Amino acid sequence: MNLIEKILASKSGKKEVTPGDVVVADVDTLLLHDLSGYLTGRVLDKEVKRPILRPDRVCMVFDHHFSPASEERANVLQENRDFARRHGIRHFDCGSGNIHHVAIQKGFIKPGFVVVGSDSHTPVHGTFGAFATGLGNNAHASMVMPFSKAWFRVPETYNVNLRGRLPRGSSARDVAQFLIGDIGEGGAIYKAIEFTGEFVDSLDVSDQLLLPLLTIDIGAKTGYIDPSQKTIDYLSQWSEGPFELVHNDPDVTYARTLEYDVSHLEPQVACPPTVGNVKSVQEVAGTLIDIAEVGGHGGGRIDDIRMLAQLMRGHKVNPNVRLQVVPNSRWVFLQALREGLVEELYLAGANWFPAGAGSNQSANMGAMTARERMICSQARNFPGRNGSPLAEVYLASALTVAAAAIKGEIADPREFLE
Amino acid sequence: MPLTVARGHAWKVGDNVPTDAIVPEWVVFKSFQEMAKHALEIVHAEFAKNVQPGDILVAGKHFGCSSGRAVAVKALAATGIGAVVAETFSRTFYRNAFEIGLPILEVPGISARVQEGDTLVVDIGAGSVVNETSGERFQATPIPPLLLEMLEAGGIIPFADRLAAR
Repeated sequence: MNLIEKILASKSGKKEVTPGDVVVADVDTLLLHDLSGYLTGRVLDKEVKRPILRPDRVCMVFDHHFSPASEERANVLQENRDFARRHGIRHFDCGSGNIHHVAIQKGFIKPGFVVVGSDSHTPVHGTFGAFATGLGNNAHASMVMPFSKAWFRVPETYNVNLRGRLPRGSSARDVAQFLIGDIGEGGAIYKAIEFTGEFVDSLDVSDQLLLPLLTIDIGAKTGYIDPSQKTIDYLSQWSEGPFELVHNDPDVTYARTLEYDVSHLEPQVACPPTVGNVKSVQEVAGTLIDIAEVGGHGGGRIDDIRMLAQLMRGHKVNPNVRLQVVPNSRWVFLQALREGLVEELYLAGANWFPAGAGSNQSANMGAMTARERMICSQARNFPGRNGSPLAEVYLASALTVAAAAIKGEIADPREFLE
Repeated sequence: MPLTVARGHAWKVGDNVPTDAIVPEWVVFKSFQEMAKHALEIVHAEFAKNVQPGDILVAGKHFGCSSGRAVAVKALAATGIGAVVAETFSRTFYRNAFEIGLPILEVPGISARVQEGDTLVVDIGAGSVVNETSGERFQATPIPPLLLEMLEAGGIIPFADRLAAR
């Protein structure tokens, strides 16, 4: 069995599972954000009407709002707070950061866990050798909250094996984006994806995160990486062990194996209207932009802010561009502050926003007119997520976002890396 | 609840329709009736205005991708449609549909064989779609027994009650 099959077997009290089996497994962590917390809480209180069995396993993070701009939204957040207090669950209020990074830093994620969440990017936690996937409000309200359980069909597993070393100007984000374009949206529906290979092994854990993160948009149920001491070291920065790693058996097989060499990968840009419309930066260079943002599920790590600062050094934000920087946790902001990056980017013309999900779905920021165009390190660009359905969103690495912020148009970051 | 047979006119949308287009974020806190008024308006302006109870939505590949919000399924159900038929669904939409009780079928190749306005009969129990306008019949990808049981129970809330009682 591979490690997610082993997790699903042990959490459902079975010796063995095979793809296609349906199991009811214990859930270790449930993740909710400010949008889904409200919707799920209403289903629990009005339709299910049962108590939460393990409130200590529920983590609610207000990441789409940092300061509500309307009474309607203030009411949503207030209802979430009331729900959290009434049921004794921990909630992390506005400004705490992005749901997944707060969950990691507050100790809700461990190797071998079953992690579910109403955010579709929940598979990101497969980075730590956990089984992690997104479920809907009714699954959370009817099974996860009252019984700490969920049903799962054991998925078939694909292997994405990555080798080579990235050329200058490209980053793990470009690899993730390239893979969505190449495998295709819906190219791996219902599968688990295991990422392996010397390239994956060479990455820091914070870069490895970007690979399981992408699996939802190729249709997969989950993504994961076989964990190592590096995984434990990363988690130990914030939370206490013990961390017990679950590994693949030595004889695992895959339904399909995809091999890639990243050695010649150019910076990649996902173009409107979907995350799978991926082109090399050269193909879209010269496209004028109004907003550049480093933040969101796919950005806002300290690594992204360092890349942004590195490329911006000696340059100013283009007068036609608004550069928005959104750390994905308070820890990231503090780290940026200590490294002098807050002042440096501020003086270059960037606007700092509170830790959170940034312009994700323009819940609290990032709405655009039909004529505006944004380039950002967010994870999605579907029409209708940022104000006018005619507004255009391009997705790219922090380096490529930085190059666009300097030039006022999409540009190859390698121009600035000589 | 017996497994559904729906008969109605077809409404068509393309591939990779995200939940953001089914219910945009700015309507997710409104009532389901209000959400239904805006369902799919970004990709099909006429749908929400003119859809009739029992009509069938026919989609391309990977329908309901992006955010896994269950309200996307609830809003579609609130429009009164009888069923959704797609080439493939995103797994979050697929799961949510059975958990909420919206009948859906996966039929590879269906998009090219149905025109908007055709009369379709969707039989969830038999796993079939008949296009009465063209006379063609299609067989859907089989639904796992657990999900049929859940749909028959009326969704995961009553289904979880059954499980708890066992």
